[in-house]
Amino acid sequence: MGKYLLRRILQMIPVVLGATLLVYALVFALPGDPVKAMFGDKPVNEAVAAQIRAEYNLDKPFIIQYLLFLKNALTLDFGNTFAGQPVIDEIARAFPVTIRLGIMAFCFEAIFGIIFGIISGLNKGKWYDTVILLISLLLISVPTFVTGFAGQYFLGVEWSIIPVTAGSDPGFFDLLFPAMVLGSVSMAYIIRLARSEISSNIAEDYVRTARAKGMSNGSVMVRHVLRNSLIPVVTYLGQDLGALMGGAMISEQIFNIHGVGFLTYQSILKGEGNLVVSIVTLLLLIFVICNLLVDLLYAALDPRIRYA
Amino acid sequence: MTDTTNTFPAAETLPGQERYVAPIEETPLQDVDKVDESAPATSMWADAWRTLRKNPLFIVSGLLIIFIVFVALFPGVFTKIDPNYCNLDNSLGDPEAGHPFGYDFQGCDVFARTVYGTRTSLSVGILSTLIVVLVGTLIGAVAGFFGGWVDALLSRIIDIFYSIPFLLGAIVVLQMFRTSSSIWKVVLVLALFGWVSTARIARGSVMEAKNLEFNTASTALGSTPMRNLFSHIIPNAMAPIIVIGTTSLGSYIVSEATLSFLGIGLPTTTVSWGGDISQAQTNLMTNPMVLFYPSVALAITVLSFIMMGDAVKDALDPKSRTA
Repeated sequence: MGKYLLRRILQMIPVVLGATLLVYALVFALPGDPVKAMFGDKPVNEAVAAQIRAEYNLDKPFIIQYLLFLKNALTLDFGNTFAGQPVIDEIARAFPVTIRLGIMAFCFEAIFGIIFGIISGLNKGKWYDTVILLISLLLISVPTFVTGFAGQYFLGVEWSIIPVTAGSDPGFFDLLFPAMVLGSVSMAYIIRLARSEISSNIAEDYVRTARAKGMSNGSVMVRHVLRNSLIPVVTYLGQDLGALMGGAMISEQIFNIHGVGFLTYQSILKGEGNLVVSIVTLLLLIFVICNLLVDLLYAALDPRIRYA
Repeated sequence: MTDTTNTFPAAETLPGQERYVAPIEETPLQDVDKVDESAPATSMWADAWRTLRKNPLFIVSGLLIIFIVFVALFPGVFTKIDPNYCNLDNSLGDPEAGHPFGYDFQGCDVFARTVYGTRTSLSVGILSTLIVVLVGTLIGAVAGFFGGWVDALLSRIIDIFYSIPFLLGAIVVLQMFRTSSSIWKVVLVLALFGWVSTARIARGSVMEAKNLEFNTASTALGSTPMRNLFSHIIPNAMAPIIVIGTTSLGSYIVSEATLSFLGIGLPTTTVSWGGDISQAQTNLMTNPMVLFYPSVALAITVLSFIMMGDAVKDALDPKSRTA
């Protein structure tokens, strides 16, 4: 187990380095000169511009810039935004909001996805199975921003059940509907996944064996069918936890939530390369660590998988 | 030969013989091995096609897709109005004769724009899927087939692309091509971040197909590894790739709309559902119907491809067969 963990962590290093290098290269190649943009309408003072470039290491070759960024990132020093704010402060303001939103969306999709998936999978062909399937298909095929707008219009504006926008320091009820919108597509995928897993597992030989041994229907379902069916669902959930943080952009944009997605989108538009790279690096780390945790969780769920 | 068999009495257990052994005459061997030559030969694909034809999901989604492709190819059949002809006098105007969906904020005909938007969304979806399937299959197959350091290297590259959140990566790349107004930039971005999942599946499925007997047989008959890969292994590993390709076609259309919604996808001069939905959101509170029509068109298109993917999956993978 320890050896496996070590090997996985060592494998993570080139992936994180490669991905940050790729993102850094892309952001570096963005058109427009951010230093010139800082002067706005005023004429560019070359001496000042050169000084700013030196301060942000913009005058050095690309690869040196990247290495300097890495060195500083290891000490959590992500430099300053062009407005002079430390990047880490901006991130510290935005991350808690997105993490709250992401965890709420995660709980929503996990709980409802698994419950409806089980109901559907155990009652294939019943009318409510068809209804659940249709709703999940609809959620997948309608883009999140349409679901978000429709909800905002009907629930927020017409019927005033939910707050229309969340504002800067959102509480549980402000984030409830945005989190549902954020988690809705993944919930639909989980329903479909759990349903097909359960219905194919029910037909397996080991279920017949368990029944033949005289096990009650309930314990066959819980101890054998569900345990086996949930392994792919757990994989999906683990990968999704990281993806939710990055995908929060749409929900945050619609409901005006000042989280990471909102911040990233604004900084890309403003050409704040430093901020973009820092956020993407952190999201990458979250994503890669989530995947590692999922792999470790496998062993707990499936006794056949033991990491030597 | 016949003499020896006949010395054994039929249906009688001899001393020392634990089980009943049927006498040979009871099941003539030639009957066991007999192949019904009048039945048509079925390959996996023919079998899948037979299952598909009977699946109502396939028929419904197939008819819808044929209709959608027809609209995309010949939008002029459905409307005579130029989707780019806009008259501000008609801004947010109600539906009237010849304009069943009314007008958007710019005073363009919503029906015409919805009809003409089909071509854009469908082109983006089909082109992205083609590139993703080609590139993903090739890279995944090479990684799975050669193994060793080739696999290690390609798998790390796949991991790198897989770990970048799609939306963030797409925004950064599209920001570089802000000035370009072709749909290719969106197609290429979708393909750039989409090929990884196909490559992963192709890799796994090629690794599985590589160890099957037909491959050894083909090598014994003198075929080269490359010939094996392209004429035996890849065709046998195609099933899961076709399934994910069909389903992702729909999700690429959604992604294109999402990027256009964020204002960095297709240029505003291109008639597209995503762009129109994004335009309509500013007047959502007063004129929700302008947003409604392109959204419904988008949803039906995506739904058709996802249903088609489900039907194809049921046909190609008997284990997951529904109902």
